[in-house]
Amino acid sequence: MRLSDLYFLMPLLILVGAATLNMLVVAVKRNHKVIFGITIVAHLVAVFTLLQLNGSSYQIPPFFVMDGWGIFNLGLILLTSLFVTLLSYAYFEQREERKEEYYLLLILATLGACVLVISQHFMALFLGLEILSVALYSLIAYLRTRERSDEAGIKYLILAALSSAFLLFGMALVYAVTGTMSFPEIGVYLQSVSELPLLLLTGFGLMIVGIGFKLGIVPFHMWAPDVYEGAPAPVTAFIATVSKGGMMGLLIRFFSQADAYRYANLMLIFTIIAIASMLAGNLLALRQKNIKRLLAYSSIAHLGYILVAFLAGNRLGVEAVSFYLVAYFITSLGAFGVVALLSDTERDADQLEDYRGLFWRRPATAAVFTAMLLSLAGIPLTAGFVGKFYILASGVNTQQWLLVLMLVLNSVIGLYYYIKVIAAMFAQTKSVQERRKVLHPALSFASGGAMAILGLLLIWIGVYPTSLVQLIRGLLATFMTTF
Amino acid sequence: MTGSLFYFLTFLTLFAALGVVFSKNPVYSVLFLILTFFSLSGHYILLNAQFVAAVNIIVYAGAIMVLFLFVIMFLNLNMDTEQAQKKSVLTKVAGAISGGLLLVIMIAVLKDAEVGSYDPENFDSQIGLVENLGHLLFTKYLLPFELASVLFLVAMVGAVMLGKKETQQRHF
Repeated sequence: MRLSDLYFLMPLLILVGAATLNMLVVAVKRNHKVIFGITIVAHLVAVFTLLQLNGSSYQIPPFFVMDGWGIFNLGLILLTSLFVTLLSYAYFEQREERKEEYYLLLILATLGACVLVISQHFMALFLGLEILSVALYSLIAYLRTRERSDEAGIKYLILAALSSAFLLFGMALVYAVTGTMSFPEIGVYLQSVSELPLLLLTGFGLMIVGIGFKLGIVPFHMWAPDVYEGAPAPVTAFIATVSKGGMMGLLIRFFSQADAYRYANLMLIFTIIAIASMLAGNLLALRQKNIKRLLAYSSIAHLGYILVAFLAGNRLGVEAVSFYLVAYFITSLGAFGVVALLSDTERDADQLEDYRGLFWRRPATAAVFTAMLLSLAGIPLTAGFVGKFYILASGVNTQQWLLVLMLVLNSVIGLYYYIKVIAAMFAQTKSVQERRKVLHPALSFASGGAMAILGLLLIWIGVYPTSLVQLIRGLLATFMTTF
Repeated sequence: MTGSLFYFLTFLTLFAALGVVFSKNPVYSVLFLILTFFSLSGHYILLNAQFVAAVNIIVYAGAIMVLFLFVIMFLNLNMDTEQAQKKSVLTKVAGAISGGLLLVIMIAVLKDAEVGSYDPENFDSQIGLVENLGHLLFTKYLLPFELASVLFLVAMVGAVMLGKKETQQRHF
């Protein structure tokens, strides 16, 4: 350990410090506002310290590497977590349960994801992943008295533990063959052998199970709809964004540093997974009446789209993944933010019926939700369109015609169910539905502000993507790869 | 001396492991399992991994086995309940097939696996001792060690939060 290591790890240290501080404050006096304030400030300070690090690549051997890709992902995760926190206040304020531990667990889950994206060693990877998972177990079951939260929590606990076991066994096999646990050294080993040894392929295969579970891609997607439905809406937003984005960041780092792109059979596995995810996600979403489940299936499909760019295996592909992640994060946060805003004390607003005629009751919320859904569908002038365009470009660039064809086909299928929700929102309801009680007129300021910012960002990136593209390019300049 | 000790321990391990599978009474099974863990720890000591041996006894034979026993006694599983639910022939066949397949896979994998051999010249007999482990943990692996503490913090907060009664929620 050197002193400068601490400087580079400052965002993580601040998160740990904030978690400890929250715990001490809870011990003295429980106050939702204070804890909320500390959490917000901690995120802001962490982002600020992150901005101080210039994009240079810094190694903390053998565990961490702070390069452009890591800094990009850290920034994305911290800002997303900040938005989740902003959306959480109004949501939890109207609930009876203890609210304070939620922020503690949220901060620590964010920390786990942060560790994940800057790790370049199996040990750091696994610890980061476990911190994220263990925090998520309790976050998913947080509102224990709700109907489906226990089911979702237990389901996630069992499946995540199982997938961790697969991942761990895979790592053990890789270690047994290569004799090292750090990604660059695995890359060095792979350079020295002509073809992939069978035991190593088995190891990678088992690791794909663990990674695929966290990404929620077919065939490891079974948990997604149930967990999305049972978890509180802000936690669902967190799972859809930070948890999946962190794993994606790690996957790309591993493949780039170990140079695993050149093995055709590994790429074939991912191609099959990508196509299956796109098809299954979109087809299963068609008949959904539950908005949270619908968004779960849609997120499975979107991870499939991201895998198309990942499979390109070049710098353009990584740029496309980065861009799409930003667009997808903004849209997911916005969509689940609307669900959180509309939820009442009894249950989350997850039925399609809750949204019928929403435009005539709450025009602003309906407008934001419409924008988010259009972005998910990939309609021009939204961030989702530019992201999808970028992915198509990277697919065409590497001549992956099958994947490109499936991507286009699936975008068309996906349009149907997004438009269905939008149509429901604009439907003129004859029978005057009794206005659902809006419990938090003043409290919703944070949520409302966050939603407005997300909506504006979405349009801004959709209309003028150059600034984001340049930011990503600048950061990726120091991404250590073998391209 | 070490050789005969190895064979004795191996015999004991296999005997106890078979006992786990074949004994009708679940409590006997668990007791056999404890014996298995102890004899496995003996193997670890023979391999010069004293720390792993101690941890194996403390964690598995100590903590986890107590949990096993508790659960079995809570559920009141004994000889009668075991005999009451006769297993069908189909279950037995399915079990034998899946177990046999696992055996085939294990043989296929291990047949060609290269196992690292040890080098008597440069062999460091101190490598498995707690002192070396502690030294590594606090120098080279300090960061993961600290991360592990965060992991325990998360697990503790989560467990307390979920396990606490809802009625007395306001005050600790």
